[in-house]
Amino acid sequence: MNWTLALPEIVLALSGLAILLAGVMQKRGQAFFSCAMMTLLAFVVTGVLVVISPDGTGYSHVFINDGFARFMKVLSLTGAALSLVLSVGYAREMEIDKFEFPVLILFSTLGAMIMASSGNLMTLFVGLELSSLSIYILCAFARDRVGAAEAGLKYFVLGSLASGILLYGISLAYGFAGTLEYAGLQQAVRGSAVLPAGLMVGIVFVLVGLCFKLSMVPFHMWTPDVYQGAPTSVTAYMAGAPKIAAFAVLLRVMAGPFGSMTPQWQLLIEVVSALSMVFGSLAAIPQGNIKRLMAYSSIGHMGYAMIGMAAGTAEGTRGTLVYLVTYLFMNVGAFAGIVAMRRNGRAVTRISDLAGLGRTDPGMALAMAIFMFSMAGAPPLAGFFGKLMVFYAAINAHLYALAAIGIVSSVIGAYYYIRIVKVMFFDTAVPALDRSPVSVSFVSVGMGLVTVFFVVGLGPVATAAQAAASALFR
Amino acid sequence: MMTQIVFYVFAAVLVLSATMVVCARNPVHSVLFLILAFFNAAGLFLIAGAEFLAMTLVIVYVGAVAVLFLFVVMMLDVRFAQMREGVQRYAPIGAAVGGVLLVELIMAFTHWRVAGNIGQITHLVPSSPTRTNTAALGDVLYTHYIFLFQTCALVLLVAMIGAIVLTLRDRPTGRRQNIDRQHDRIPQESLEMLQVPLGAGVAAQGGFLRPHDSYDVAAVPGTYGTEAWRAREAAEQTQTALVVITPAQGAKGQDDE
Amino acid sequence: MHPVITDYLPVLIFGCIAVVIAGAMLGSSLLFGHQKPYAEKTSAYECGFEAFDDARHRFDVRFYLVAILFIIFDLEVAFLFPWAMSLSRIGWFGFLSMMGFLGVLVVGFIYEWSKGALDWD
Repeated sequence: MNWTLALPEIVLALSGLAILLAGVMQKRGQAFFSCAMMTLLAFVVTGVLVVISPDGTGYSHVFINDGFARFMKVLSLTGAALSLVLSVGYAREMEIDKFEFPVLILFSTLGAMIMASSGNLMTLFVGLELSSLSIYILCAFARDRVGAAEAGLKYFVLGSLASGILLYGISLAYGFAGTLEYAGLQQAVRGSAVLPAGLMVGIVFVLVGLCFKLSMVPFHMWTPDVYQGAPTSVTAYMAGAPKIAAFAVLLRVMAGPFGSMTPQWQLLIEVVSALSMVFGSLAAIPQGNIKRLMAYSSIGHMGYAMIGMAAGTAEGTRGTLVYLVTYLFMNVGAFAGIVAMRRNGRAVTRISDLAGLGRTDPGMALAMAIFMFSMAGAPPLAGFFGKLMVFYAAINAHLYALAAIGIVSSVIGAYYYIRIVKVMFFDTAVPALDRSPVSVSFVSVGMGLVTVFFVVGLGPVATAAQAAASALFR
Repeated sequence: MMTQIVFYVFAAVLVLSATMVVCARNPVHSVLFLILAFFNAAGLFLIAGAEFLAMTLVIVYVGAVAVLFLFVVMMLDVRFAQMREGVQRYAPIGAAVGGVLLVELIMAFTHWRVAGNIGQITHLVPSSPTRTNTAALGDVLYTHYIFLFQTCALVLLVAMIGAIVLTLRDRPTGRRQNIDRQHDRIPQESLEMLQVPLGAGVAAQGGFLRPHDSYDVAAVPGTYGTEAWRAREAAEQTQTALVVITPAQGAKGQDDE
Repeated sequence: MHPVITDYLPVLIFGCIAVVIAGAMLGSSLLFGHQKPYAEKTSAYECGFEAFDDARHRFDVRFYLVAILFIIFDLEVAFLFPWAMSLSRIGWFGFLSMMGFLGVLVVGFIYEWSKGALDWD
């Protein structure tokens, strides 16, 4: 048994336990900062270990480490670390200043990493549960706020329903193949001339369960309420690592075990993707609350990222991966702006509260404008390249209708992103927002630079994504 | 034959009690029917040969989950009549979803087939007459699936953290034991010997001396006898007083809507 | 007949007898007893007062915490049964595997103890 294969996960889990103990030993109410710093350190160490970890399958084929897994893990860790940095600045105001907060983020990220490396449907499920369970708790973390409690409860009830559906799908797949390993499933699917309806139902159920986690359109109902109610840094986290992990398993399951059935599930993915893009851009328009707007925006973005998956090729997967990279950076950046939206010490989340930010805080307004233009897909910024690559892959896979819908909906979507820019720079100023702490400004400026100069790093990112995608389609 | 009879009895009671879980007017009865349903499901598992699952169902679900459900039912002040108002409206949607699922199930199981090459795929060893179900599970769970097993430990840990983070409140009035402090106490610190003259009584000595500091030192530091504590006590008393007055104001049985 | 059922046949018979006896007791008292309920008889008796409020009080959320912590350790115990049965086969590796599992939960136990979740007041 090759123990070292999961070394990053083991190190992260052990440091999670250590941080939990360290936190509980310290004096009450003072452990948050030190635990957050230790968690950040653990993320960095784990990230390094992930990069140098070897390829292979281990633990009786439940665990796969390959280029794809490494890519997704590094991405999840980055998202988690950045959202943790965001939560440090306003921990007390968001009522999340307990040492359990970083520990739960850590375990959720661990679940995401396990999902990315799953070689068995059981690994997928256990990783998903570890990740989701932590997020349910994080959503309700500010438990004295009605909104947070509501968000946690809603997400929990609907999320467990989705988990049940996923599990049912897994059991149907098991009934067909008699194994849960991806390799065995692939062998079973390839070796059968006629695929039974039961297996199809199973695959659709697995898809539904994962689409719920991704908040794709028919299963998106929870997203706006949960995004709005949860503490803002938790929302920033939820829009990052868990979605990346869900995409990781979706790509891996659909390319691996069910890869030879692409024609059967392709249409479903196309429909879900198109619906998400259209709904995400139309429903965001009337929103007055910026967190709800970001929820609809994330629904739309997941739709764009799924175009690459609908293509069902290595090129499409590369597009999806690049899209996720760009999405992660601009999303965290935008949430840095939202976390910093405070007036007289109180959080404000209406879009109209941003009015005149261009005069009162030009730096923050510029950063927000960059993220909004990038999300809209304006050319020199990061978001443009992600969209370009998925649309390109879709056209090469002859999915012209899907590409057309994507382009139209991104034009519609540009309207509400640019409306925010207009509010910031051209509306009459309301009283200025508070100065943001260093950590938030750091994330904002850093992500702004990444978004603007993404074109410089596009080559290496695309190469890494290419390597990751080809690991899947070997 | 015997097996069939037992199966149908268990299945019939299971379906009936599951229906009663949803239909019972009293939520506590729902929970009791749920327990009956769990027992019957355990019986079905036994018939299928899944001994371990059956026993786990009884231990975990009947022993713990049902108790938790009872607590939750009693903890929440849910007005079930009010909750049921929506039933009429949402019933068609629910029935439609249920119908679709039923059709899917029928489709899946009437045309069920296993993979054509199932013989070539490696399987784990199933339980045999010589190796019981529980032992066969034990053979693979802790070694073959060690990674998943340890991850399950983490899932349980996260559940534990979540339960504490979301429900545990520091109670400032709590008088927790400080065992070290209690052991260190000596009579000279806490007792005062008085010479009480005959006939004068204790009142002449200024009344009983309450050990005014003993609660402070025994309680968690900074929780008892502080200003915040005093304020809370006072507030609680006014609240209690209000509660007593309230029923006199409104007519009994009326809702304050 | 499946071997498991033959193993559990005594339990089944026991259960049947229990159901029959309990049913007979309740059923016969329902059939043969005199029942003349009226409003005063069926109302809750509270020391001669009219009942102040519903007998079903709301529980403190702390009961819930105790119950959920119990469930978690109950699940952990459920993992111990197969382990005990096949410990002779899985050897030291299986033993240490369970120790790791228990170790994680011991960390959780230390956590909840230090947090005061096991104290009632």
